Amino acid sequence: MTALATTLERIVGPTHVLSRPAALLAYRSDALPGHRLMPSLAVMPGTREELVAVVRALAADGTPFVARGAGTGLSGGALADGIVLLGLHRLRRILAIDPAARTATVEPGVVNATLTRAAAVHGLHYAPDPSSQTACTIGGNIAENAGGPHCLKYGVTLNHVRRATVVLPSGEVVELDRGDDGGYDLLGAFVGSEGCFGVVVDATVQLTPDPQQVITLLADFLRVRDAATATSRIIAAGIVPAALELMDQATIEAVESSVYAAGYPRDAAAVLLAEVDGPSIGLADDARAIEQLCREAGARGVRVATDAGERARLWQGRKKAFGAMGRVAPHLVVQDAVVPRTALADLLEEIQAIGAAHRLRVCNVFHAGDGNLHPNIPYDADDPDESARVHRAMGEIMARCIAAGGTITGEHGVGLDKLAYMESLFTAETLDAMCALRAVFDPERRANPGKVVPVRSCREWHATAAAR
Amino acid sequence: MIRPRTTTEVLEAVRAAVRDGRALRIVGAARWNDAGHPVRAPETLSLAELTGVVSYRPDDLTMTVEAGTTLAELDATTRARGQWCPLLAWGDDHGTVGATLATATSGPFADALGRPRDLTLGLEAIDGTGRHIVAGGRVVKNVAGFDLTRALVGAWGTLGIITRVHLRLRPRPAVDATFAFTPRGAGLPPMPIAALAQVPLPSAVAATLGVADAAWLLRVGANASAVAAARAALDGAGRVVELDAAAWDLVRRDSAPPSPARQWRWDPLSLRLRDRFDPQRLLNPGLLGEAP
Amino acid sequence: MSGHTGSGVHPTLARSPLAMARAGLDRCVHCGFCLPACPTYLALEDENDSPRGRLLLMGALLEGQVRVDDAETGRHFDQCLGCRGCESACPSGVPYGELIEATRTTLAVHRPLPVVARAILSVFAELWLLRGLLGAARLVRGSGLARLAARLLPRRLAMPFAMLASTARPAPRPYDATQVRTAAGTDSHAMPDRGRAALLTGCVMESLFTETNRATERTLSVNGWRMCAADEQGCCGALHAHAGDRETARSLARRNIAAFAASGADVIVMNSAGCGAMCREYGHLLADDPQWAARAAAFAEKVRDVSELLAEAGPRPPAASPGHARETITYDAPCHLQHAQRITAPPLRVLAALPDAQLVPLQDSDQCCGSAGIFNLLRPEVAERVLAPKLQHIAATGAAVVATGNPGCLMQIGGGLELSGAACRARHPVELLDAAYARAVRPD
Repeated sequence: MTALATTLERIVGPTHVLSRPAALLAYRSDALPGHRLMPSLAVMPGTREELVAVVRALAADGTPFVARGAGTGLSGGALADGIVLLGLHRLRRILAIDPAARTATVEPGVVNATLTRAAAVHGLHYAPDPSSQTACTIGGNIAENAGGPHCLKYGVTLNHVRRATVVLPSGEVVELDRGDDGGYDLLGAFVGSEGCFGVVVDATVQLTPDPQQVITLLADFLRVRDAATATSRIIAAGIVPAALELMDQATIEAVESSVYAAGYPRDAAAVLLAEVDGPSIGLADDARAIEQLCREAGARGVRVATDAGERARLWQGRKKAFGAMGRVAPHLVVQDAVVPRTALADLLEEIQAIGAAHRLRVCNVFHAGDGNLHPNIPYDADDPDESARVHRAMGEIMARCIAAGGTITGEHGVGLDKLAYMESLFTAETLDAMCALRAVFDPERRANPGKVVPVRSCREWHATAAAR
Repeated sequence: MIRPRTTTEVLEAVRAAVRDGRALRIVGAARWNDAGHPVRAPETLSLAELTGVVSYRPDDLTMTVEAGTTLAELDATTRARGQWCPLLAWGDDHGTVGATLATATSGPFADALGRPRDLTLGLEAIDGTGRHIVAGGRVVKNVAGFDLTRALVGAWGTLGIITRVHLRLRPRPAVDATFAFTPRGAGLPPMPIAALAQVPLPSAVAATLGVADAAWLLRVGANASAVAAARAALDGAGRVVELDAAAWDLVRRDSAPPSPARQWRWDPLSLRLRDRFDPQRLLNPGLLGEAP
Repeated sequence: MSGHTGSGVHPTLARSPLAMARAGLDRCVHCGFCLPACPTYLALEDENDSPRGRLLLMGALLEGQVRVDDAETGRHFDQCLGCRGCESACPSGVPYGELIEATRTTLAVHRPLPVVARAILSVFAELWLLRGLLGAARLVRGSGLARLAARLLPRRLAMPFAMLASTARPAPRPYDATQVRTAAGTDSHAMPDRGRAALLTGCVMESLFTETNRATERTLSVNGWRMCAADEQGCCGALHAHAGDRETARSLARRNIAAFAASGADVIVMNSAGCGAMCREYGHLLADDPQWAARAAAFAEKVRDVSELLAEAGPRPPAASPGHARETITYDAPCHLQHAQRITAPPLRVLAALPDAQLVPLQDSDQCCGSAGIFNLLRPEVAERVLAPKLQHIAATGAAVVATGNPGCLMQIGGGLELSGAACRARHPVELLDAAYARAVRPD
């Protein structure tokens, strides 16, 4: 037992400090398949006071750490390589809900869907809805600037956080807001910083009124291209759907074989899940317009669901699609890239071609309305040849997305997984500026070291910038 | 006065300033001169000639413009395609996009349609160390890397000079109606939102603001049947007069809140931010009331 | 891909049940969706006590990264309630229940069960011993000693007595099926003959819930089933299988298969969700036994929960009895019904048929109550932490009765209600339907 472990035990109690290797095995991974790293120790504070005391103890010890919510992230952001893992899942109190101001103040470990459930009695909900919403935490959502299907209309996490109390890696506790009353948008800089800037102690988030009515449509297509075209046309027509999601045949097959079978037509090349919500007046017009646009683009059929049960079933399949792919092959690469919406149709064909060239099966399930692609590849990691092909295919897909004017991640974050692509997306000077921004919050780089920006980008440019 | 026409010229000007330790006062259309405190700088860099639409992709609902482009030009270009970038900032449309973002100036529709931070997808800027920053991108969803865009938007030019921006556009509603609405009953309730809570308004564009002749000004944007239904609902709840959308120009001009730059919060974190991006205090020194 | 750990199986576990179940383990993509569905994770707040954590530990065991006799790791497996709530939340279809049993069986070789567990399990395996003990328990209950002990003893010791006390029922009011049909004004010939049904009377059910078994037989008769007996039947073996004692479970299964074959029943009725889940697994349990595999599979095919049979028949609605006060009822889904057997609607249909009841929803009714076989006897402190939110949610409904179709849940919730002094009672849905039929024949 190290001196640090003893100190931490004194703060959070012995059952909430894990240091035996066997006890740490369960904390080697988050939801990113195929990546495992072993922390040196795990500490799980149960109160905000304990959290601050733990971060201060780590600061006094000069120990780097990785904050972790529910470990549902898909970029390896919550993996700790031989350093301390700071588990925030015990901090799950909803501190206040203010229905008049439409805000909630929560601890970082509150589960996204739990907040929505608690707000439901006031006719409100928390709008960002990542597919992992039944398990992921608000703290993790803030760290990753999480998105979700309904972000098309309602915006991502950034647009829904009002303020946050944050403990910086130095142990300093600061209040961050948008700077509306005269100040830098420190909150905006913090949201999406992937645990590299500090740890949320509590946050106030915006709640959104439940729409008066919701209509969900499922259009099925015999060509993926037609579904992509329908997407562009819907957006261009001036309709603002609450969500617009595309699933291809491989994904439909995986979902329909799972416990979350949603009744998607198995023989369709793609289905488009569209939703409109708002006051009931005029909503049916929007739904009809979407149906019309889908049919014009070549939809074989359009199913319209208005009752809650049927809508939930249609959505269930979409939200659990990623997990459902677990049944296709033992391992899975989950990808996340964004391209301009108009490039979708071409890009999907290129992705299929890349997959075919490498003899791989690519399952696409994504936020079409945002151009946010998720090409996933089930494979067997024990097959070195297949693993190598997966790796090459992913590199090619990412290069195509960047070339199309896109980006390497729309919602999963860079973490460890996307580190290698950062230098092809950003200039050296921009990466250096990112390092400078991190240094504002964590000059010692003790919070989630080695993530987001490749270390060498900082070192090189630190030297030149200082010399200037 | 330095009047660069390209980002490269801005970069050269700032690098020269860094070398010589010479401070710069940064202006767009020079309409926010006295927004904060006086700037202590021997030289002015104007972005008024760094103008133009770099790219506009209507089907992607995105647009890239140079910082000196006016809001009026932005509005005219997008209107032709039935779209808009609904900044609708306090003041008027003669201001520049760059200044609107740099000052994070929102307007009466901020809550409904978004603030500059919500509508900016990415930007290019030259910071106070002479770094050419290319942040974010032109796609509508992006979490790659740390968010320099949010740091620079609303920093009043004190961290970097915004030279080019990628904006998120939205479709203009099929019908965009403005109503003056006087709820039935004596006097105006203190919260217009509360008064309208019973009225099912289309959510696409709905905002309330300000008192003009004892009426709430209300903008409803949606498809025709939804707007008609909203109008009917308002008729049932009080007196309604339909106005021209130009009514909002008066509101934007006359109801602007005091500039937040006057009481800037200089906590240790904010000072460290300034230190990392403008250690020599070359960009708009003094504007935010900071100590020399 | 980088950092992927190879999946070589450590030689000591090469032929172990866990190694055989490896394919199911590989389905896990560690998405974490199971976390909020796991009662022990919510209560203990450590991922080692979550389904994802336990699956990762199983993998580590197989790969030799953790020793098979590591006591702490063993404890995390022991602490699993086996509620299989995670299976309902798992998009990848990981057969968690199968995996945890395989793990326990594998570890049992290296790590004998605790003495208390062994003692309890051996009692369940021996019919005469079990009947004797449960008979003694009935005496304690009947004398009022159980309730007294529940009140006087410190909480930890009081719970078993409270559980026992909660199984007490008022004197039965038997009736004849034809009476019910006559009271409802229907001709007995109008009711179709649905076939022959034999009830797995169960060990705990027949001893402590005798009346529930009789109620099961009566309500099925009212709804057109002909009841027949399977005389040589015994314990279903669920407790042994869950604890990793697979061999005993297999021999108990063979005994039941033979007994029910002799009864000539078309369906084998369960009124204990835990036994039902086990009996449906017989085919799987004896798959590698050439003499029994086919018979076991045929047996499993005939297994039905009583709620399924009743729902299939309607059930025949009892006539309202005017003198009877309207009651608020809520339903808690037994894990082994909802998650293991995926039976959700039928019990609600049974309750919906009650003429004098108002059914109100129970928050988190899909979460385990902490009973989990003999778990609450082995790990009372964990069981109590899991039960606490359940009791809160029940209290919030204001219901007079919480219905649930499993003896373990009836006792765990019933005992908890007893200790907390709540007026609410825990009842099997079949008991409620039976009482309604009885009232229809002979009003209060």
